[in-house]
Amino acid sequence: MEYNDNITESPSDIRTRKFNELKKKYILSVINATAVVIFVITLMTVSVCFLILDRPEISETENRTLAKMPSFTVGDYFSGEYTAGVELYYNDTVPGRETFKHWVAKIKDHFGIASSEVKIHGTILNKQTTETKPAETRAITTAGNAVTGKTSSVTVSQTTVTEKEDNPLDDPNIEGEISNSILVYNNRGIMLYGGNYPNGELYAEYVSNFKADLGDSVNVYSMVCPTPVSYYLPTKYSDMTASEKDNIEHINENLEGVIPVDAWGALDKHKDEKIYQNTDHHWSQLGAFYAAEEFAKTADVPFADLSKYEKVVKDGYVGTLYGYTGDTDLKDNPEQFIYYIPKCSYTSEFFTPDLSESWDGNLVVSIDNIDPTSWYCVFIGTDDVVTHVTTEVKNGRKLAVIKDSYGNALIPCLTSSFEEIFVIDMRYFEVNAVNYLKENGVTDLLFAMNTFSATGSNFECIEEIRTQ
Amino acid sequence: MVFSSLFFLYVFLPLCLICYAAFKKLKYRNIVLIVFSLIFYAWGEPLFVFLLIFSTIVNYLLALLIRKYRGGRGAKIAVTAAVVYDLAMLGIFKYSGFIVENLNVILPFDIPVPDIKLPIGISFYTFQIISYMVDCHWEKVKVQKSFYKFLMYVSLFPQLVAGPIVRYSTIEAEINERHTTITDIAEGFSRFSVGLAKKVLIANNLSTVVDSFFKGNVSELSVIGTWFAVIAYAMQIYFDFSGYSDMAIGLGRVFGFHFDENFKYPFICKDVSEFWQRWHISLGSFFRDYLLYIPIFGKRRKYGGLFLVWFCTGLWHGASWNYIIWGLYFGAFIFIEMLIGKKRMKKIPIVIRHIYNKIVIIIGFGIFYFEDFSQLGDFFKNLIGLNSNALIDEFTKLTFTNNVYLLILAVICCFPIAKVVSDYAQKKNALLYTVSSVKIVTNIALLLLCSVMLVDATNNPFLYFRF
Repeated sequence: MEYNDNITESPSDIRTRKFNELKKKYILSVINATAVVIFVITLMTVSVCFLILDRPEISETENRTLAKMPSFTVGDYFSGEYTAGVELYYNDTVPGRETFKHWVAKIKDHFGIASSEVKIHGTILNKQTTETKPAETRAITTAGNAVTGKTSSVTVSQTTVTEKEDNPLDDPNIEGEISNSILVYNNRGIMLYGGNYPNGELYAEYVSNFKADLGDSVNVYSMVCPTPVSYYLPTKYSDMTASEKDNIEHINENLEGVIPVDAWGALDKHKDEKIYQNTDHHWSQLGAFYAAEEFAKTADVPFADLSKYEKVVKDGYVGTLYGYTGDTDLKDNPEQFIYYIPKCSYTSEFFTPDLSESWDGNLVVSIDNIDPTSWYCVFIGTDDVVTHVTTEVKNGRKLAVIKDSYGNALIPCLTSSFEEIFVIDMRYFEVNAVNYLKENGVTDLLFAMNTFSATGSNFECIEEIRTQ
Repeated sequence: MVFSSLFFLYVFLPLCLICYAAFKKLKYRNIVLIVFSLIFYAWGEPLFVFLLIFSTIVNYLLALLIRKYRGGRGAKIAVTAAVVYDLAMLGIFKYSGFIVENLNVILPFDIPVPDIKLPIGISFYTFQIISYMVDCHWEKVKVQKSFYKFLMYVSLFPQLVAGPIVRYSTIEAEINERHTTITDIAEGFSRFSVGLAKKVLIANNLSTVVDSFFKGNVSELSVIGTWFAVIAYAMQIYFDFSGYSDMAIGLGRVFGFHFDENFKYPFICKDVSEFWQRWHISLGSFFRDYLLYIPIFGKRRKYGGLFLVWFCTGLWHGASWNYIIWGLYFGAFIFIEMLIGKKRMKKIPIVIRHIYNKIVIIIGFGIFYFEDFSQLGDFFKNLIGLNSNALIDEFTKLTFTNNVYLLILAVICCFPIAKVVSDYAQKKNALLYTVSSVKIVTNIALLLLCSVMLVDATNNPFLYFRF
């Protein structure tokens, strides 16, 4: 401010003005110095805390191993991988990560109207069009490897929760079992379905090829399993998804010599029961039970009712959909995880996907010491194994199931229906499937997977394991 | 390394500040800045840091030649060589793939398309160097005799990788002699926090909204959904880029440099020409000062130059035709505004002017977004309802409701409310003290809030990193 023109200013006024200017300057300096000190202290304190506090190695909610500090190599340095790795390690393993993530979810809840009962996560769906081509990538397991229970004479290893890997949340290109568009309605995560008729036709063709290869002596069934979007999406939002029912029907119309199993109808009758988990992308075992019942009816084999199982109820389950959406409604509303252990006796033997190693194990494994996120692993434990179950049934029927992780929950429900069951995950199997089925004298072959696998990218694996 | 990462905030920045503060002599402080700047660059570009250093050496030597042969032919040759070299480097690393792809369309035979990675920040530092070389030739600035000072100008990490394009003349005096006051540091940190918040709190979350529409099947979007997404995208880019500029300006100020403003609330503009006087100012002024100088259009220089500038502006943003169209699109509207004339433009009711320029600007960002022409076509069809999709769908309603407060915050932050309050407070001491004190708390809160949000962000590069 210029005062030089103020010729009427008296000496005392000048003194007062100068004093006031100095005072203002002094006060502002004090405020600014305080600002700098506080900012620097905050920066340094957080910096030191991040340096000395323990860094987490795994994320329970995301069901994945966090980034590890990379080891230095000259090649990695010049390719930029080393520095990117160090930064990723630092950012990914922040002390208190889970707490902070929960805070982030809480903050994000306030971006919109809190009273809204519906929230949407992800991208609007690329609903099926005739131009859509099948993706080339192979989707990975979603059951995770949290519990394999793998023991063999060669290597004795009990895989623990710290060795989690291969989680869909790690894969930015995830397709197949899980959708990247999730709607949360009444504390239930619902994956929106894109659908894809051309992919469905290819699925039908690949499944039919098995029938052609195996001949009349083997009954081949296709059971494409619906997901919660078929039953729990409010009608108001139905334009956000493709119809699973239509896609399944389209597949069934294209099957040649393969018998369709109507899991959609079977589950529809029980939609008021707990046939799906709210917080996980899998169905509950009850849902799998009803689908298995329908399959048993179609295949004309005996089927044990629920009284032939020991029911186990565990509280506090928050499944994969929380890790995927970060939605606090899912986190804050843990649900029951109920599974059924068959009372009938059976033995199960596990093999590596190339069949080179084998070990004995349980079809229903213990989940007492693992994080709730991974409880679906109770069935078989992992996807990357081949399982051979021998039961006490004597009806001459030998079943093979080619499946994604939805299939895992089915297997215990079929232990009173077939003499033997061979379980193959199409995403991992490394030998020729047709030869394997023939060698083992399989009489029935069931393809069991959810709609996202059948019309997503996983269906390509069906053809791969037939021709490899 | 990006500013909006925990690694930068809590490893790089504290170390840099400690080392900088450990020295009192400017020479050593400058050396600290050079070392940290090169580490910063080498962190993301371990190989191309040598290209940066090499280009600095080449231009440094050519500038010395300009000085030696001042006024003679030698100086002209030196400046021409420098500009040709710099543009060649930019052309090779940024545009060679694009050029070959387009040549292959015309030529009867196919040339293999080179797969060259774009060095981070090359568009920014190349323009900085060119401005320095030309200014040296025009004697607007003195030739820097000290190599390390010139290297510091080129590599200064606050503005190295995503602008603003800082002219040498702006910081010439401060490179040689600068006094950092406590006000500079306080204001610098404050500006940095605001920029960080713009990026982390607003831009990153708007990007989730935008992607939920545009990363899916564009042809299925509703009319209002498309408008909603493109408006959100315009704001996302603004907060992303201006946030980065704020952080750069703030960090610069912490180290005693006063960079020019790069954004001045562009969305309050009254016409398209004014938008570009408020948006990415350092780029616009670069083209105005250096490109329009070239007398290649004879008597029609005014209009020819205008379209050349807008062609280059578009091309600078990316090696893809949509950017060029985007640049020419704005050039066309500015051309129309020039034809109408300022006086007649002013006679148009202000409401109509605002509606006109916002529509032009927002649609412009749609062109900016879609590199794929079929998607761009779908986008245009959606805007005017030619895709026979619904006017509005549940997805749009839901996404809007789920993010309504974020959107309101974003819109409010597009207006200079904080600036008006701050300017008003300058006149009243009591208010000034209150505002300054509140700023301390706000800045810390923003820093911590952003840090928490960054725990959840595994990938959040700045959009302008690719230019």
